[in-house]
Amino acid sequence: MEILMVVVVGVMFTIATYMVLTKSLLRVILGTVLYSHGAHLLILTMGGLGTGAAPLLSTEGPHSDPLPQALVLTAIVISFGVTAFLLVLAYRTYKQHKTDDLDQLRGSSDE
Amino acid sequence: MSNLLILPIILPMLVGTILIFFAKNHSLQRVIAGITAVLLLILAFYLAHEVYYHPQQTMILELGNWSPPFGIVLVADMFATLMVILSSIVGMLCLFFAFKTIETERAKHYFYPFYFFLLTGVNGAFLTGDLFNLFVFFEVMLLSSYVLIVNGGTNYQLRESFKYVVINMIASAFFLVGLAYIYAVTGTLNMADLAEKVGVLEQQGVLNVIAIVFLFVFGAKGALFPLYFWLPNSYYGPPAAVSALFGGLLTKVGIYAIIRTFTLIFTHNTGFTHDIILALAGLTMFFGVLGAVSQFDFKRILSYHIISQVGYMVMGLGIYTQLALAGAIYYIAHHIIVKAALFLFAGATEKITGETSLYKMGGLLRSHPLLGWLFFISAMSLAGIPPLSGFFSKFALILSGIQEERYVIVVVSLLVGLLTLFSMMKIFMYAFWGEQKIPTEKVDKKETMGLLKPIIPLVILTIALGLSAEPIFQFSLGVADQIMDPSNYIDSVLNQD
Amino acid sequence: MSLLHLVILAPFILAIFIPLFFKYVKQVHTGWFVLVLPTILFIYLIQLIPTVSGGEPIVESLAWVPSLGINFDVYIDGLALLFALLITGIGALVVLYSIYYLTKKGEALHNFYVYLLMFMGAMLGVVLSGNLMVIYVFWELTSLASSLLIGYWHHREKSRYGAQKSMLITVTGGFSMLASFSLLYVMTGSFNIQEIIAQAGDIATSPLFIPAMLLILLGAFTKSAQFPFHIWLPDAMEAPTPVSAYLHSATMVKAGIYLVARMSPVFAGASEWFWIVSVFGMFTLLWGSFNAVRQTDLKSILAYSTISQLGMIMSLLGLGSAAAFYNYEEVYFTATIAAVFHLINHSTFKGSLFMVAGIVDHETGTRDIRYLGGLMTFMPITFTLSIIGAFSMAGIYPFNGFLSKEMFLTGVLNTLMMTDFNMQSIGFLFVAVAWIASVFTFIYSMIIVFKTFTGKYQPEKLDKKPHEAPIGMLISPIILASLVILFGLFPNQFLSYTLIEPAVQSILPTALPAGEQFYVNIYPWHGWTPELWLTIGVIVVGTIMYLTLTKWQNIYKILRLHKKDPINYIYDGFLDKLVTGSQKITYMQMTGRLNNYLAFMSVFLIAILAYGLIEFDAFALDTSIVGDIPIYFWILAVVTVATTITMPFIQNRIAAIITIGVVGYLLALFFVFFKAPDLALTQLLVETVTTTLFLLCFYHLPELRKEKSKPRFKIANLIISLGVGIGVMIVGISSIAMKAGRPFESISEYFKENAYELAGGKNMVNVILVDFRGVDTMLEILVLAIAGLGVYSLIKLRMNDEGGRLK
Repeated sequence: MEILMVVVVGVMFTIATYMVLTKSLLRVILGTVLYSHGAHLLILTMGGLGTGAAPLLSTEGPHSDPLPQALVLTAIVISFGVTAFLLVLAYRTYKQHKTDDLDQLRGSSDE
Repeated sequence: MSNLLILPIILPMLVGTILIFFAKNHSLQRVIAGITAVLLLILAFYLAHEVYYHPQQTMILELGNWSPPFGIVLVADMFATLMVILSSIVGMLCLFFAFKTIETERAKHYFYPFYFFLLTGVNGAFLTGDLFNLFVFFEVMLLSSYVLIVNGGTNYQLRESFKYVVINMIASAFFLVGLAYIYAVTGTLNMADLAEKVGVLEQQGVLNVIAIVFLFVFGAKGALFPLYFWLPNSYYGPPAAVSALFGGLLTKVGIYAIIRTFTLIFTHNTGFTHDIILALAGLTMFFGVLGAVSQFDFKRILSYHIISQVGYMVMGLGIYTQLALAGAIYYIAHHIIVKAALFLFAGATEKITGETSLYKMGGLLRSHPLLGWLFFISAMSLAGIPPLSGFFSKFALILSGIQEERYVIVVVSLLVGLLTLFSMMKIFMYAFWGEQKIPTEKVDKKETMGLLKPIIPLVILTIALGLSAEPIFQFSLGVADQIMDPSNYIDSVLNQD
Repeated sequence: MSLLHLVILAPFILAIFIPLFFKYVKQVHTGWFVLVLPTILFIYLIQLIPTVSGGEPIVESLAWVPSLGINFDVYIDGLALLFALLITGIGALVVLYSIYYLTKKGEALHNFYVYLLMFMGAMLGVVLSGNLMVIYVFWELTSLASSLLIGYWHHREKSRYGAQKSMLITVTGGFSMLASFSLLYVMTGSFNIQEIIAQAGDIATSPLFIPAMLLILLGAFTKSAQFPFHIWLPDAMEAPTPVSAYLHSATMVKAGIYLVARMSPVFAGASEWFWIVSVFGMFTLLWGSFNAVRQTDLKSILAYSTISQLGMIMSLLGLGSAAAFYNYEEVYFTATIAAVFHLINHSTFKGSLFMVAGIVDHETGTRDIRYLGGLMTFMPITFTLSIIGAFSMAGIYPFNGFLSKEMFLTGVLNTLMMTDFNMQSIGFLFVAVAWIASVFTFIYSMIIVFKTFTGKYQPEKLDKKPHEAPIGMLISPIILASLVILFGLFPNQFLSYTLIEPAVQSILPTALPAGEQFYVNIYPWHGWTPELWLTIGVIVVGTIMYLTLTKWQNIYKILRLHKKDPINYIYDGFLDKLVTGSQKITYMQMTGRLNNYLAFMSVFLIAILAYGLIEFDAFALDTSIVGDIPIYFWILAVVTVATTITMPFIQNRIAAIITIGVVGYLLALFFVFFKAPDLALTQLLVETVTTTLFLLCFYHLPELRKEKSKPRFKIANLIISLGVGIGVMIVGISSIAMKAGRPFESISEYFKENAYELAGGKNMVNVILVDFRGVDTMLEILVLAIAGLGVYSLIKLRMNDEGGRLK
């Protein structure tokens, strides 16, 4: 099962990379979100999957590994904060520069 | 165990939070911020003093009293405390410079809170002994840096910050990937525990590859070749105080993480990992300095020099002897101080002339001799001209390179030193020599002096670090000795009495 | 710290006070304050002569950076003392001269004298230090000071050019010396010169010996303006003339000579040393003298002449090293003695000639010999001084230059006696070069005197009416010219015992049995020797060629030497290429395109991952955990993969945002499936908010366009993407395999066991978040706070590029 999950993560990273290599502001952002998704899934996968019940002591053991879950939770919240900031940054960049084409956001070398 | 360790983290965090509520009152913000910065510096020295005279020269703090490797632990060894001192010095002086230069508009929009949150992240990254916690501190630091680098929201800032943020986000995602791998392989996150378990593991092929993932991540934060693309343009946009803090301090957090992980955890196959690091060091310094040679803008030349000098720091790690690491540590200290000073000089000249392009400046030596000469000293220090701080650190690296018969890197580092001199001379010749091109009356002598005040201590430090090279070098050797032998770190964290 | 350390440091200490003198004592020329120091130092050093010439070096030590082997050792033997006397003696004369040369008003005297003192201290440091690294430190300081002095009139484009050039070339040599000294340290374990000399025999067989030698010679050659590194010296003439007289003829350029002499005991036994030093020296001698003749600027002539004379001294040191092969046969000592003797003589006559050139420039407003002529009647004293200096340089009796040039010819002729290296035949080449160079030396010496002071007076070409210089300006050249005559008439009385013998002793320390001393006796008449015939030939041919100058001057045009030194084309071209080339390389990577940056980074990641994986054969697959996978899991996985893959193809903005939301929700489903209820809840919540934010921000954005890039790029991007994805996958799979076999449990077991007992919570994830790893959570909240504030300030604060607030 882990291997299947790793494959899913691999696909996510492939697509994420493809998206950030494009020239559209939105696609790049979507790519970064996809990176985070992939990374979160990977942490959980690498901690070991499906070996037990939810990590609640009220349920019967054996329990699945709680630590990766805690890590992922922290990571999700952090990447939410960063993504929110990036979104607004992109919005402002678009508004200011009137373009969402990264080719036009190159800037000239002599500034 | 000492609660002292948490203070460099918690103090800026609390003060940052308090400052949010006084955002509208610029002068009160300055008072609070200034006092805090001084306190932080005193604290850093006190902490270093405590650590230095501690029997193991390593102090730890178990957060929430959970013993390692289960809880998060803060570890202050000599390397970490040195970095905290440096961050406090530069943090304080750049803040003082910000007092003189930051527009009220920026201050009202939480410039100072972000500044302190950044310091929280930086100090945390130096002190933490837990790899995931390091990630979190990195994010605190990075997010603050994103906000600071775009603070002001000019067209230029927006455009370049976007690239900066995206590249760093991706690097952060790979940080998580690396964490996932290492957790799978070792089942732990505590760095001391990791070091111990990595040493025990037999099948180490994958570990080498995981080490590379971390090298990629930290290399992206520390601007190694070929991961530095975000740096030169993004450091150009923000106000000088921010550029100086970033240029001096921020990339060095990445370098610190590389040195920490590759002396503590990933030391099982130095023939592979450290050779890659050495090769990257050479390429980094080479391409960085070419960038500096190609530019004719004060700030951009300095930005590219950050890259080339990062190369020297990891060169010490790549050679991986006590002397080389001591050189690298000395170099980091030298670089943080001098680079911050130089960026502040760029800020001061920008304030005086309204320009950063070298083509449009000239003759500043005649109108602002003190500025000119202080800049000259710093520039020569950066280029490694004796007897300033840049020389001894570089010399230790070169000597260790020759001792280890790593001649290629030695040749590259000497050539890069030469080109560094060339490009720093270029700034001096264009901006300070020649005919005066821009009327500079709008900034009077008193104001110039005000701008110089925060920089002068940095210049004095670079001279002092050079002339009193022996104690500094002894200390660096001590630090190198300590990090070359991870057992001290591991024992301090895991096998306390 | 001893008095001798103070000798070196005194100029630096005085330099600190110079700006104060300049600012607060306006009525006195700052130079007077400076003059005191070299005078005192010179007198102090003079009285060391008896001690040093007795054969005992004076040694003092001071720890500086002992852990790197760097100690501030002062070591004064004959060689060091000779140079120190030149530095302080000529230094005093130059300072005196400069007081009249540079006016109080309008000159930045505080800068000038600070540089000059810095140079003096650095130069004393170079010659008096016994530790290579300390020498290096001071060596770089001389380069720095020299460069600052050349750029003293920095509003002139040419000054800046010259300053940069000299700095780049001499510092290149400096860095190469640094490498060489490090090599020597690795071989011997010491930076102390005497300790290194003691091990000279052992290190000669080391593979690092030759590299160390070549690198040290590069340092010496750049500093002493040896071909092809000589090109900085003519441009250094942009410095005020006192500086040229001091640094660029008498002292600094001789630092390279000093270094070669100082290191001779280590390297002289090697034939490479003999060849490189003597051949480069000889060629420089020829090149300098040949090019001096075509110059029209008095100082340029003197610059090329200096190059040529330095080449001569260098070649003598090279030829003298033959003594080390031939068991120190006395006949080979002549070259070394000649080197030391000529070094002194050159400082005297060249110093006075530079001062003469300065006087001419100062009093007429030009140094161009095409505009000068007939000045003899206006400035008779200067004219006399120029005759003494130039005739000495040309090698005419009774001036000191005659004696040392005779010895030079003897030294060259002696090589014919050498039995190795085919010297019997090649040696004639040396003699020929020496003779031809002497002829050209004669010619340009005549040019200096006669083109300036005789011939037609052309007042219309001069800015001011020429008259004799003030007496203050004449004192220094008069003293030097007197020395030229005195040394010429009484060499043994003044120099042989006091300076030359001890200096030669330092260069050839093992030549004589312990206790014995060199005996140098210089006299003009040796009978009708070949040397004398050669000299007569020089004078005859030189006179003829000088008189027929216009007839053959075209040769420079034919050789394409008439515009600038050909080496300058290389230098200028190189600098030009350096800048344009680095721009090309930099802009190739720094395209400003985010996708380029990310592509480079990804390729790098793939490359090192692949390298690591292949190098260590790290790929591992643990099939045991493939296990049973429930069918609904398969479906979930397939749906996720399918949704993800559609993303790049979506053209509709809203649809793209919804799709990423769907992936997020699918992630939440995974979390449910993996028994992570808290995660699933958080993910659902976060995903909803994110999607809303997305829609808010991008509602106004234009529709997604089709990517217009060429298929080639798309394919490249696809390959890179696949590389990253597969890389992440392979390492993941291998890590899982390794995890199965790891010999220890995860730290999670501790949490499972103790969550309730120690932390009092039943939800382990929550317990970890708020207790075991509470700091993470605290910081996570901080991150959210920063993000919130950041978003606020991002929306509210809009400034223009000039820093003003946008309305």
